[in-house]
Amino acid sequence: MAQSGLGIVCRRALIALPTLLVVSILVFTVLRLIPADPLAMSLPPNATQEEVAELRHSMGFDRSIPEQYAIWLGHIVRGDFGVSIQFRRDVLALVLEALPTTLELVAVGLTLGILLGIGCGLLMFAWRGTAKEQLADMGSIVVLSIPEFLWAILLILGLGVGVQLLPFIGRLDAQMTVPKHTGFLLIDTLVAGNGRAFLSALEHLALPSFALALAITPLIMRVLRSSLFDAYADDYITVARLRGLSERRILLGHALKNAALPTVSLIGVQAGFMFGGTLLVEVIFTLPGIGNLMVQALHNQDLPLIQGIALIYCVIVLVLNTIVEVAYLGLNPRLAQA
Amino acid sequence: MLARCLAEPRVRVGGGLMLALLLIAIFAPWLAPHDPGEQDLLHTLLPPAWAPDGDPAFLLGTDSLGRDVLSRLIFGTRVAMHVAIVAALGAALLGSVLALIAGYYGGRADWIIGRAVDVWMSFPPVILSLILMVGFGAGLNNVILAIVIVDWTRFCRVVRSEVMTVRRRDYIPAARLAGFTHLQVILKEIVPAVTPLLLTLISIEMGIAVVVEAILSFVGLSVEPNVAAWGVMIADARQSMHEAPWGLIAPVVGIFVSVLAANLLGDGLRRSVDPRLAQRLSVLR
Amino acid sequence: MLLEVDRLDVKVRLASGDVAVLRDVSFDLQPGRILGLVGESGAGKSMIGRVVAGLLPEGFKSTAQRFRFDGKDLLDLPAEQRRRLLGDRIAFIPQEPLSALNPVLTIGRQFIEHLARLGVPRGERRRRATDALTEVLLPEPDALLDRYPFQLSGGMCQRVLIAMAFASNPSLVVADEPTTALDVTTQVHIVSLIRRLQAAHGTGLLFITHDLRLAAHLCDEIAVLYAGDVVERGPAKQVFGAPRHPYTRALKQAMPGLTGDRRPLQALPDIMPGIEALGRLPGCRFAARCPTADASCAASLPPLALVAPGHWVRCASACTSEVTAPSTIASEASGPANGKALLKLDGIAKSYIRGRITAVKDASFSIASGESVGIVGESGSGKSTLARLVMGLDTPSAGYIELDGIDVTVPEPSWEKRISLVQMIFQDPASALNPRRRVANLVTQSLEARSRAASEAERLKRALELLGDTGLPEGLLQRFPPQLSGGQRQRVNIARALCAEPRLLVADEIVSGLDVSVQAQILNLLQKLRREHGVALLFISHDLSVVRHLCERVLVMKGGEIVESGRTEEVFSRPRHAYTRELLAAVPPDDMNKPWPPTP
Repeated sequence: MAQSGLGIVCRRALIALPTLLVVSILVFTVLRLIPADPLAMSLPPNATQEEVAELRHSMGFDRSIPEQYAIWLGHIVRGDFGVSIQFRRDVLALVLEALPTTLELVAVGLTLGILLGIGCGLLMFAWRGTAKEQLADMGSIVVLSIPEFLWAILLILGLGVGVQLLPFIGRLDAQMTVPKHTGFLLIDTLVAGNGRAFLSALEHLALPSFALALAITPLIMRVLRSSLFDAYADDYITVARLRGLSERRILLGHALKNAALPTVSLIGVQAGFMFGGTLLVEVIFTLPGIGNLMVQALHNQDLPLIQGIALIYCVIVLVLNTIVEVAYLGLNPRLAQA
Repeated sequence: MLARCLAEPRVRVGGGLMLALLLIAIFAPWLAPHDPGEQDLLHTLLPPAWAPDGDPAFLLGTDSLGRDVLSRLIFGTRVAMHVAIVAALGAALLGSVLALIAGYYGGRADWIIGRAVDVWMSFPPVILSLILMVGFGAGLNNVILAIVIVDWTRFCRVVRSEVMTVRRRDYIPAARLAGFTHLQVILKEIVPAVTPLLLTLISIEMGIAVVVEAILSFVGLSVEPNVAAWGVMIADARQSMHEAPWGLIAPVVGIFVSVLAANLLGDGLRRSVDPRLAQRLSVLR
Repeated sequence: MLLEVDRLDVKVRLASGDVAVLRDVSFDLQPGRILGLVGESGAGKSMIGRVVAGLLPEGFKSTAQRFRFDGKDLLDLPAEQRRRLLGDRIAFIPQEPLSALNPVLTIGRQFIEHLARLGVPRGERRRRATDALTEVLLPEPDALLDRYPFQLSGGMCQRVLIAMAFASNPSLVVADEPTTALDVTTQVHIVSLIRRLQAAHGTGLLFITHDLRLAAHLCDEIAVLYAGDVVERGPAKQVFGAPRHPYTRALKQAMPGLTGDRRPLQALPDIMPGIEALGRLPGCRFAARCPTADASCAASLPPLALVAPGHWVRCASACTSEVTAPSTIASEASGPANGKALLKLDGIAKSYIRGRITAVKDASFSIASGESVGIVGESGSGKSTLARLVMGLDTPSAGYIELDGIDVTVPEPSWEKRISLVQMIFQDPASALNPRRRVANLVTQSLEARSRAASEAERLKRALELLGDTGLPEGLLQRFPPQLSGGQRQRVNIARALCAEPRLLVADEIVSGLDVSVQAQILNLLQKLRREHGVALLFISHDLSVVRHLCERVLVMKGGEIVESGRTEEVFSRPRHAYTRELLAAVPPDDMNKPWPPTP
């Protein structure tokens, strides 16, 4: 199994390369459609024609688009994502600085969402055929109808501004500082042995990750429930009953593993969506992640930064997909053996 | 078929809400008490009319520039519904045409379309739509175009696998043997079979389109700044969240109700056409 | 007494009120004996198995005077205690072996879970599992434990399930159609395996089947069920040899034989009443289809009457009338094939995935105008692929196909001509009939296509003709396929193929999903159509007796190859190829004195 898992990772990586190539072409081409002049931002208003031309040349904007693309790609392959027009800093450095914030948010949000989703799904299945199930079903549709950024706002209004239970700005209490190792605050605070900072980081993560989790919880819950229904319609459940297995054993030992398959594929797709959803959540909770960075870059038409972040987003989605695929194969012997 | 759908309470509630929103959108100029762009700097951040400092002239209060929240909400419905309907239909059309080609003909066409979907799926949709909006520039039509370009894959993936399921039924070769051309088979046998699914997806996509438009206008990359859109209202109200939290409630409710209507309608349609579910409900299994 | 059932009733709550889906069912089973429950689908035979298990579907309720297993009344037992009996004292062998095992767990994991539940100590479980798999003659049992169900054939899965059933040395085994999903030659091995284990363990066996002949050979006693009633019960050989109830007789005469003279099939009119109709039938539920019924039959349910020692019949009139010997028919449909070949295949081969999988190799045969040719073979023999190649739904990898003198090897250029000459009747009407089209529209589908688009009136006229041809009532014109019974759907399927008046019909397993009495109706219809329209037939089936009944010539296929061909009578009476002999030996014979299943 481990070997086939590794094989999958390698094969995924091979598939991912051309995908990334197409993605980069797409991003590059779309961004050349920009009507405004991206250089206007980075020069003083009284710049001379010569100064404009020189900058244009130094940034390669005077060449044809395919040429520009080839040069850009050549740099990226060497790990050079260019320099941000707005910050005048290396794009990769900026992104890597912001990335841990986003990844921490996604990891906590995703874990929370999956746990809640599976829990609610099982509960809802246990309630099958009762009025409670109908109620839970309606509830899930209501929750599903509120996108993560509205959850963010509602949570801030309710628990932040209203009850003032949890903080909703930044990653840590303003007066705290933690030496930076990994950029993941939950880890860094533990490494520093600073329990209060760890709790504060956790508190700051609570609302944003909960907002993210709520966006996928109802989906996971609904898919798990309907997959369990499908599994229970299958023969092997009836046959297991005829062997005298208990209902508990049938659910946990037989139905759940089959029902997990569609649920895992859904999580794979939704993880990618959720990763995009962090963007607004970061803005709303003023978290210094790549989403926030992206929004700033978009407003300033900071092309090198936009391109860099877009590519990083895609790389991470592809990595997430690969993880989910390996999990799927681990659960599905039919595919693993093929 | 229609009767069966209407018997489902979710369809009735979701469809009813959707119809109400549409009517509000159509009759916005007659319904709104004020011009949505009209500023009244003497009456900024008024609370709703029933609150202690409320002004009956501004039923839901005013924003930081003294614009009437209710009127902006009503005109925002216009933007939302316009985007929802046109973008959902556009994405459905693009996605399902490609799905039909991929699912029916298979082979190389399927491979190419499948790879395109893969590329699209490696973008978080929000990121792709933001990049597109930066490229296209602001404007209602550009928002719609961006949503169509981003969300056709939602249709393509699901419809394609449904087409493949239908394709395996023997009535497809039977139609060929009756002398149907491939186009006739697609139009007369396959399209009717995937239509219920398509309607469900369109309904759900309408909700998604409302959300995407709100996100884009929240970030300031959607419609022109002078147009009243729900996302813009949220972004504005967020600045004065501590003094006037009620300003956020109206657009949030607007988005919620539209998405809820779309989801209820979609879920209801799915329930009334999904035979597996019908079977489960039957006593005789 | 192992199992003692007295006046069992099972009722279901419907919108129209309570309906008895099993009425007044009584039988006994001694330890070490086999009782066959025989009936067509919907007769309620599987319901009896469910009552034994105590796992009735939602809305069903069972009551009985007595329902004793090993002296304990099962219906009085608390659910938890009943569950403990299952898999231990009472074991089940299911119908669909491939789907009866959990697809994502290994065989070993499922077997060991079962042994753990039986209380086998941890250290012994694997050895016990291996031993059990050895007992059911599975090769390399130890390696098998680490494999997944999808890596095994249906027959192997069924052996695993049989091993699991007998692992607890149960005193009662309920086998619900354990061979129906399997190939003929596998079927015979499974039946003899079940019999061997049952005899070795001294187990009482409740054998549920639709196959009267199979039950007659295997069982000590038979109970025949019709629409929830036991209509006849008695010693197996006696019930089969001299059936007394009109339904049992009809069932027997609806089955084509593999030996002896070909006789016309007695097809009962109509179908068995469905569950919704049962509430309106207080008396004998067979009365509406019964050739000997009178008005009193439908009014009240006759009691089970003893007609011979141990032989009970539930019929007011049948006890007196003798069995009429069925008349033999002149081989009416077997007119010699004259004229030139309508269809000619020469060296046809088909392979997939760049030649890695060969479905058909080097097939050559021809069909003359009006001739009827059968292809027999098991699943994977390539017979369906051959049908698709003849139809032009696939292009052969090698060889030559000629139709009415035209080269049609590559489908596209001659498509119009081909489909005007050959039409196909698909196997599964549920899949072959678009559920969104009405019957009238379906049967005239070929008038909708192409240049010959017909007017509504023309289509309706043609639809009426076709319904008449296929024996369907006009009232069905505006129905949708899901509203029809299985037999009606298959008739619609046939009517559609007839619409363009083809000269050759290709029929792929078209009666395999049908009950015997409905199968007889369809076979008779095919014969009538051949007589009236002179249409040639390429009839593909796994059922040798059906092919013998219908076809003058037969091809036997195995592994993509035609291993034997010739006139049906000759091939079946003097088979040359070992495989043909194996196929013939797998069919339970009509003659009760011949031992079956053959002891290895």
